[in-house]
Amino acid sequence: MNIMLLYGTETGNAEMLAEDIMSELEGDHEVECRNLSDFSPDEFDAGRLHMIICSSYGDGELPASAQPFAEALKTAAPDLKGIHFGIFGLGDREYEETFGFGSGTLAELLIAHGAVQVGERITHDASGSDMAEDVAFPWASQIVTLAEEKIGEVA
Amino acid sequence: MSRAVAIVGSGPSGCYLAQALLKAAPDLRVDLIDRLPVPYGLVRYGVAADHQGTKGVIRQFERVFERQGAGFVGNVTIGEDVSLDALREAYDAVVLAAGLSADRTLGIAGEDLQGVHRAGQLTRALYEHPDAAPLPELGSRVVIMGNGNVAIDILRLLAKTPEELAGSDLGAAPSDWLTRSGIEEIEIVGRSPASAAKFDPVMIKELVKLEGINIRVLGADRSDDPEAAKKLAALEAINGHGCGARRITFRFGLTPIELSGPDDHLKEARFLDGQGNTVILPCSAFITAIGFGAEVGLPRDLLIGEAVDREAGVLAPGLYATGWFRRGPQGTIPDNRADAQRLASHILADFEGAAALPEKPGRQAFPDWAGAVGYHGWKRIDVAEISNAPENRCRAKIASRDAMLALALQKEEVSQ
Repeated sequence: MNIMLLYGTETGNAEMLAEDIMSELEGDHEVECRNLSDFSPDEFDAGRLHMIICSSYGDGELPASAQPFAEALKTAAPDLKGIHFGIFGLGDREYEETFGFGSGTLAELLIAHGAVQVGERITHDASGSDMAEDVAFPWASQIVTLAEEKIGEVA
Repeated sequence: MSRAVAIVGSGPSGCYLAQALLKAAPDLRVDLIDRLPVPYGLVRYGVAADHQGTKGVIRQFERVFERQGAGFVGNVTIGEDVSLDALREAYDAVVLAAGLSADRTLGIAGEDLQGVHRAGQLTRALYEHPDAAPLPELGSRVVIMGNGNVAIDILRLLAKTPEELAGSDLGAAPSDWLTRSGIEEIEIVGRSPASAAKFDPVMIKELVKLEGINIRVLGADRSDDPEAAKKLAALEAINGHGCGARRITFRFGLTPIELSGPDDHLKEARFLDGQGNTVILPCSAFITAIGFGAEVGLPRDLLIGEAVDREAGVLAPGLYATGWFRRGPQGTIPDNRADAQRLASHILADFEGAAALPEKPGRQAFPDWAGAVGYHGWKRIDVAEISNAPENRCRAKIASRDAMLALALQKEEVSQ
């Protein structure tokens, strides 16, 4: 499968997790990893799975590196029909009220423009006892399996 | 060509800088030098004990040492063990990322009374910094002066019930101190109006989770500015919260003018409000949380004052600064990450421009550092702290420098 791994980060934790997922997947798949700040909405590709790792920051806001992308998406309003994405959040249950809002905001935005979400959106809790990758690796492999059925072509 | 970079300070700014440098140029020889035997600076001793999620960046920093090959040189003080000039002689680039840890003072009468405390001193004692003074008796009525995130951290920790500290790394002695504190009332006072307060709204919202308190907010102003409006909305949301025994009062727009009391013991704090009226708050403790300045040791004012390009973090050829040490005490961990990433690009460009110069020896110029604490020594401390954590705590910090060194230097092998 051809995977575009994107991350939205504020402190670098989502970037680190994206790099870990890339190492995990790149033996079996073709993976490119990029900061959302370096990705433009017109680069979405119907033949690829877009795997997004996104934190929340402050009061449930998008992390800094995802903000220009979200703005560009709102402004350009592209038709993302046929685009598949999976999304994984990083959050902190100390801030229960806004837990996972960053990844949620991004998912809603993509869906609103016609993209299809593959699998469930899971958010890792930084105040919990699990390591992010222990939650994210099984998620990633499940997303890939689901996407292989949907995208219907294995690279 | 492999240049050698010394980073003074292994807090978030220093670690992010090493991360960015080694990501772009994996062959660089990067050493993080810290006056403590343990790394991570503010993340270990400044981020609140009950904000473990914020401390999650440590996992990134571990990789800087474990995978990216940075060296840790702990228990070495620049200006005492090694001069800054000697360091510059030995390294192609020296970066000051020592932060700002000295408490600012108000400069009003009565600041030296018994019962007046400073936020940095107090939090270092709470978080078991090896150089901290013992925790003071606060008495029943506490005033916190300041409206930044540090002031809110202190407020929250003083206001929490013992159960609400579960999962933190607050030590046994500080936990016991909090349990026995006998605090009945905490007043938190800002010099600015509420709309100009420096705290992040999320820090205020977090207070509604606390069960042992009741909160009132007095004298908040109004504002149309969107950032200010978020702060005001957060304050409005907590106003009237809770029916616990401890009363929390937020006050704004009060300028402190004098602290006073009989026999050198604090009894009251005196303020002027915006109309020129005197406001007196009786108190047994007055904690100033009004920002930080440079520790003695590194001549920061001189270095920053003579900087070639302060904005870029270039102090002199081969000498740089980043984080709070460069900018002053404003901005969060992500701001310092961005600052460090910009400086990393600048340093690498400078190396490129000076490609003809011979390499410098780096840490090989300091054979004495064989007695310093390396990363493996720190990991022995880390492992011991985690495995000794009691129930409801994620870590039991070792508070004394001697105990840290005994553990760290046990079988230290000199790693080059």
